[in-house]
Amino acid sequence: MCWTMATGLQNQDGVPENHLRKQLAFAVRSIQWSYAIFWSISTRQQGVLAWGDGYYNGDIKTRKTVQPMELNTDQMGLQRSEQLRELYESLSAGDTNQQARRPSAALSPEDLSDAEWYYLVCMSFVFKPGQGLPGRTLANGQPIWLCNAHHADSKVFSRSLLAKSASIQTVVCFPFLGGVVELGVTELVLEDPSIIQNVKTSFLEFPEPMCSEQSTSSPQNVDNEESLELKHEVDNTVALDKFNPTPECEMEPEIASQTFPQCLSPCMAKEDIEQDGIEELDANICDDIKSGSPDNGSNECRANQQTEDSFMLDGMNGGTSQVQSWQVMDDEFSNCVHGSMNSSDCISQIFVNPQKVVSSPKGERINNLQLQDLQECNHTKLGSLDLGNDDLHYSRALSAIFKNSHPLIVGPGFHTGNHESSFKSWKRRGFLDAQMVKIGTPQKILKKVLFEVAQMHDGSLLKSRELNTGKVGLCKAEGDDVDLNHVLSERRRREKMNEKFLVLRSLVPSISKVDKASILGDTIEYLKELERRVEELESCRELSEFEAKARRKHPDIAERTSDNYGYNDISNGKKPTINKRKAIDIDETEPELNQVLSKDGSAADVIVSVIDKEVLIEIRCTWRDCLFFDIMDTVSNLHLDAHSVQSSTVDGILTVMLKTKFRGVAVASAGMVKQALQRVISKC
Amino acid sequence: MDNSTQESHLRSENFFTHDSPYPIYAMAFSSSSDRIHRIAVGSFLEEYNNKVDIISFDEETLTFKTDPNLSFDHPYPPTKLMFHPNGAKSLRKSSNLLASSGDYLRLWEVRENSIEPRALLNNSKTSEFCAPLTSFDWNDAEPRRIGTSSIDTTCTIWDVERGVVDTQLIAHDKEVYDIAWGEVGVFASVSADGSVRIFDLRDKEHSTIVYESPQPDTPLLRLSWNKQDLRYMATILMDSNKVVILDIRSPGLPVAELERHRACINAIAWAPQSCRHICSAGDDAQALIWELPTVAGPNGIDPILAYTAGSEINQLQWSALQPDWIAIAFANKMQLLKV
Repeated sequence: MCWTMATGLQNQDGVPENHLRKQLAFAVRSIQWSYAIFWSISTRQQGVLAWGDGYYNGDIKTRKTVQPMELNTDQMGLQRSEQLRELYESLSAGDTNQQARRPSAALSPEDLSDAEWYYLVCMSFVFKPGQGLPGRTLANGQPIWLCNAHHADSKVFSRSLLAKSASIQTVVCFPFLGGVVELGVTELVLEDPSIIQNVKTSFLEFPEPMCSEQSTSSPQNVDNEESLELKHEVDNTVALDKFNPTPECEMEPEIASQTFPQCLSPCMAKEDIEQDGIEELDANICDDIKSGSPDNGSNECRANQQTEDSFMLDGMNGGTSQVQSWQVMDDEFSNCVHGSMNSSDCISQIFVNPQKVVSSPKGERINNLQLQDLQECNHTKLGSLDLGNDDLHYSRALSAIFKNSHPLIVGPGFHTGNHESSFKSWKRRGFLDAQMVKIGTPQKILKKVLFEVAQMHDGSLLKSRELNTGKVGLCKAEGDDVDLNHVLSERRRREKMNEKFLVLRSLVPSISKVDKASILGDTIEYLKELERRVEELESCRELSEFEAKARRKHPDIAERTSDNYGYNDISNGKKPTINKRKAIDIDETEPELNQVLSKDGSAADVIVSVIDKEVLIEIRCTWRDCLFFDIMDTVSNLHLDAHSVQSSTVDGILTVMLKTKFRGVAVASAGMVKQALQRVISKC
Repeated sequence: MDNSTQESHLRSENFFTHDSPYPIYAMAFSSSSDRIHRIAVGSFLEEYNNKVDIISFDEETLTFKTDPNLSFDHPYPPTKLMFHPNGAKSLRKSSNLLASSGDYLRLWEVRENSIEPRALLNNSKTSEFCAPLTSFDWNDAEPRRIGTSSIDTTCTIWDVERGVVDTQLIAHDKEVYDIAWGEVGVFASVSADGSVRIFDLRDKEHSTIVYESPQPDTPLLRLSWNKQDLRYMATILMDSNKVVILDIRSPGLPVAELERHRACINAIAWAPQSCRHICSAGDDAQALIWELPTVAGPNGIDPILAYTAGSEINQLQWSALQPDWIAIAFANKMQLLKV
């Protein structure tokens, strides 16, 4: 056997086991027990016993099959064992894609009987020498016969709880081929060395009595187990029908080819393949062809309809790819087995969780099994676990989310978490459902929080300036009085805010709606319009600058308003202080500008600046009778109180400087004041 | 230990609803590791008087408890609430620090039976005015640091123990809507200018734009940084049903877009204990949990789990200490969901 090591390293675990499985099957069936497991030395972890192979011979709850033809009981049993193994691997892989990859005939957890669950969970176990039943058997080299396994102390039989759920009563272990063979049955069987002897013999005898309808399932099989015979086979093209096929292995198309006559040599001639490959394939095909089993494989009989040649090709290709897939499978397989020390916690949890979605006490118990402490594990009935696909989906998702493969890192909330998940597995809706749902304003609250709450606070700015000089400016304030103060000031801010909005509304002619957003919107539009006009006028002014110099003596009306006013009000007070400062700066420089740059043909020069409630008015115009009183009248009609007046008349030009203040809340815009004054002035 | 009647009762109910007298927006799980969870819930009323309530949830009895003493007034709705990330460690055992944002950043001390305001943090040096805050994030690696985002285009980093501004950065061209810490000195922010930018406090001159919304000026509203795997962050766009997953190693292009919501998304949260899971909730009243695949399929990514609430879900929080609990807020209800 050793000489195959180099070539068949990956296959070593898998393929002999395949053979082993048949031996186990034969053994366990010969004594009519429920299952047989071969615990072999793990290649990954020195000295540790891990699942080698097994055969399940017990009760079956649901049988799923896609095979059109009846299988005999041998094959069904092997198939079942293989399916259980596949299920275990898909569960332990924990990959959500696994489900999709599994063939339709594969089992899902809800198909399993109690005993099958027991068998499945056993796959996750590993034993150190001296630990558990298999471990001690290996250490002592003596068979152990355990009756009443379901009542056994967990120190003796770590799976006693599981056994109880599966009603396994008798478990026997004996050393075999460097590993340990374990047999179990649901009945109570008293110790009887002849049974062990019987089993051992049947191992030895095997496969002779069983070979009637068998074919070789894989060349590696032959390689490893019967290497000499393989050579023999290849050389002489003599088929030795030694082994049971595994009906679910990927070779079935080839197996189905048994109806074809021998055709080994043409095939070899046609295909120019490296010698080794050919040898393998030849053995493969050859065996297939010769094996006479009518029951075999034959799942897909496509080969039957094909011509001889094309079949051969098929067979070759199939053989090659099959070899590859074997290796892949074996890789996974051995990973799984040997990694089980690490992943077994996780696995058992996966098995158990789905019932109570989040790691239930049961899950922990089973982990405890692993930790060989079963004292508190009273009546977990594993077999009652009813795993739906959804549940399985959950458990995978959850274990991934929580990384709860180890009970120790499970969060504190876990222990009381006995309720089911609020979440359901997501399902794709139908086509119609996939359309977007139309809802009033999308992200309504989120938008309000981000866009409007800020405005609410903004509205209160001016107020805070008036009321809390300095106090709120503290970076860190202590205690209640600030809070209280703040509450009051905030309230006042809001009132003020609303007040200002009313003012704004009265100022902008185009405002149609009452709500704050449209007031602001309309104001923005209005301002843009004004800005546009200002720009227009300024460009006009540049053009007329020349002429203006020549006619400096003619007082003009400059169409200027202080646009800072409006801006201040709608700028959300982002940088009010700065804006305000700017406003003042401009006002200070403007009189000069206006004197120089006056507009041709106009009779008067009016400047209005509004800062808060203060209105500064400067007028230069041609003097006429009663003009001064008319101006004061107009000012008064605009709800302005003049608190400082300067006036002079030089060379028939009246110069008036008015500092005024708005009475009450009604505030006219600078433009309105200016227009009114110009009307008065030009009224001769 | 086994109480079958209780258990069967529990099984019929797998979510727990708290009805508030007012609509709810802001929400935060307490980070103290009690058996009794505390959840701060902020009202959303479009007026001055708003409330923040601390609600207790007992996992054993599965009931909510409110206490009038554990409630305080908040000027206008809080835009965000967050408990001190290290729970009770920094303070006396029985108290916990809660931060809220709105006009200012405020700190509150939540004790067993009372709440005291601790500080009001105002970042404006020149005037008492401080631009309103849209959000903030507490640095869990360095709990002295809180970063706030504001409509005045800035992000402000506070030293909350000293109550002073560490630094203020003009982060964006427009309003900043959310901020999230990655490491001690690294944070990211999203803005109305449609960009996600990463800042490193060691080099304040520069920021890195890791994503810009496809249509220019589509505001990005929320940002969540994957605390388990700092390469990933998630953001949501205005009026969009997509969760955009970004890998900061490949700026510009999102690594994934999760588009199974049937209406706009309002909130996102990464799983606190897994780097591959994220929860999102939106106007379609659904909360979806997604598992990010290593390789995305051609048809996009499907969520793995879903929960449907009564109406538009506005808020979503995934408890960091009890990662099997997710809290959502819709209308005036706060619901605790078992994952």
